[in-house]
Amino acid sequence: MNDTSMLAFEENPEQVEQADWVVGIPSHNNAASITHPTAQAAKGLLDYFGDKNSVVINCDNHSEDGTKEAFLQTPSEVPKIYLSTPPGVVGRGYNLRNLIVKAVELQAQAVIVLDADVESITPQWIKNLGEPISAGFGFVAPLYVRHKYDGAVANGIVYPLTRALYGRRVRQPIGGDFAFAANLAETYLNHPSWNDMVGQFGVDIWMTTLAICQGIPICQSFVGKPKIYQNDRNIVPSGPVFSQVVGTLLNLMIHFQDLWGRVKWSKPTAIYGFGMGEVETPTSLDIEDDELHQVFIQGFVQYKQLWESFLENNIYNKLDEIRELPLAHFSFPSEIWARILYSYSAAYKNEVVERESLLQSLVPLFVGKTLSYAKKTERMSIQQAEEYIENECMIFEEAKPYLLNKW
Amino acid sequence: MAKILVVDDEEHIRLLYSEELKEEGYDVITAEGGHGLLERIEKDKPDLVVLDIKMVDYDGLDLLQDIRNKFYDLPVILSTAYDTFKEDMKSIAADFYVVKSFDLTELKKKIQMALEASDGS
Repeated sequence: MNDTSMLAFEENPEQVEQADWVVGIPSHNNAASITHPTAQAAKGLLDYFGDKNSVVINCDNHSEDGTKEAFLQTPSEVPKIYLSTPPGVVGRGYNLRNLIVKAVELQAQAVIVLDADVESITPQWIKNLGEPISAGFGFVAPLYVRHKYDGAVANGIVYPLTRALYGRRVRQPIGGDFAFAANLAETYLNHPSWNDMVGQFGVDIWMTTLAICQGIPICQSFVGKPKIYQNDRNIVPSGPVFSQVVGTLLNLMIHFQDLWGRVKWSKPTAIYGFGMGEVETPTSLDIEDDELHQVFIQGFVQYKQLWESFLENNIYNKLDEIRELPLAHFSFPSEIWARILYSYSAAYKNEVVERESLLQSLVPLFVGKTLSYAKKTERMSIQQAEEYIENECMIFEEAKPYLLNKW
Repeated sequence: MAKILVVDDEEHIRLLYSEELKEEGYDVITAEGGHGLLERIEKDKPDLVVLDIKMVDYDGLDLLQDIRNKFYDLPVILSTAYDTFKEDMKSIAADFYVVKSFDLTELKKKIQMALEASDGS
């Protein structure tokens, strides 16, 4: 793929030709929210990395809501650059690709990425994501205190699967805010696993997984405040986003099969940013039990035959038992969930079903699992829910021989 | 034979862990606290550390951070009488934790898992 093929437009009002540190803010129609992360990023760069040449870059999808103007008009002592994909090319991954190309052109040493619609970003985030790069780490994943129902795809699929596969415990592998050193840029630009799913919402797990598989030093950094979005988000993401994230994860399994096949159990990842003092409590989220239950039940109408075609009988029979449970006693055992995900991974690799259909058929099962998690953790504190997730991850690790057999 | 460093300020715990883990075939060395711990690790090169969280003079979670900063991949198992430490997110830097008990079955299982853990490289 041509590295610059997606860059259609650049506005560089201060003619920046070199920068040591780059903060990138990918966006698509974020005019209402982008001012905040832009201002916080600029302040963080000045406060904590004032001795470096820095730039804040908005990598956009040709937004038509005034995102560019909102970004460029944000008061800042740090220079700004606006980049955009061509009209019609939409995707967070394409934005990040443009960002990386520009970072290489600027000879940057470090790139920090922030979400455009998070209202809790502070200059401290720049410090905590950037300092580990100065200390020699190659990739920095964020650690936030999140509500126990926030990040359902990460909690239920991406974290346990990534951890069991690659043996590294990166708690927020699709956190959205992260940093990487310049030596990873070439890997990102040239890796053969890039595809259109990565160009969209698959990019976060793609970047994290490549960093893990490169064997470079990785750390997790407490950014400070909980992650709070400016707009409400669904607990279960839309179908395309779900497919792009999970599809990328499964594609990477094919690509790195020789590596993860040798991995046993998992190791913790270094932590940066201890001693932050009191951590704020994240805002609460509500779960609509009935709605989730109905999505799960309806899944049998649409996908029964498909599931029966590749899931082992004992697993499908267990699903049938779960379907019969009344909502009050609904429970989706983690041992079954791990085996289902492993079965999906193998089915995806072997293309026993058309891949997009396969990914869509996972949605109702994931919704069922999310409902079960919500019920199990209903009375738990955030910390207790974290322990619950850790125990689920151990179940994935213990079930890994099942994956190896199916693969 | 894997070498295990047990760090605990209670003598009876050090003795108990030493005897039981030696019976499992491990080479066991002990330390009373955090003083000079990093130098001790540097010198004796243990394959795994069992670390008490609440010691009279030292906070095990701070020691865990020091160990992680210097010995990136050295397995550390936290050992504690209470599980309230989990409220401190520093604890996720440990490989595992166990609640102190005279029955060391869980500790032995976690030691084995931590020593077996491989990143595939």
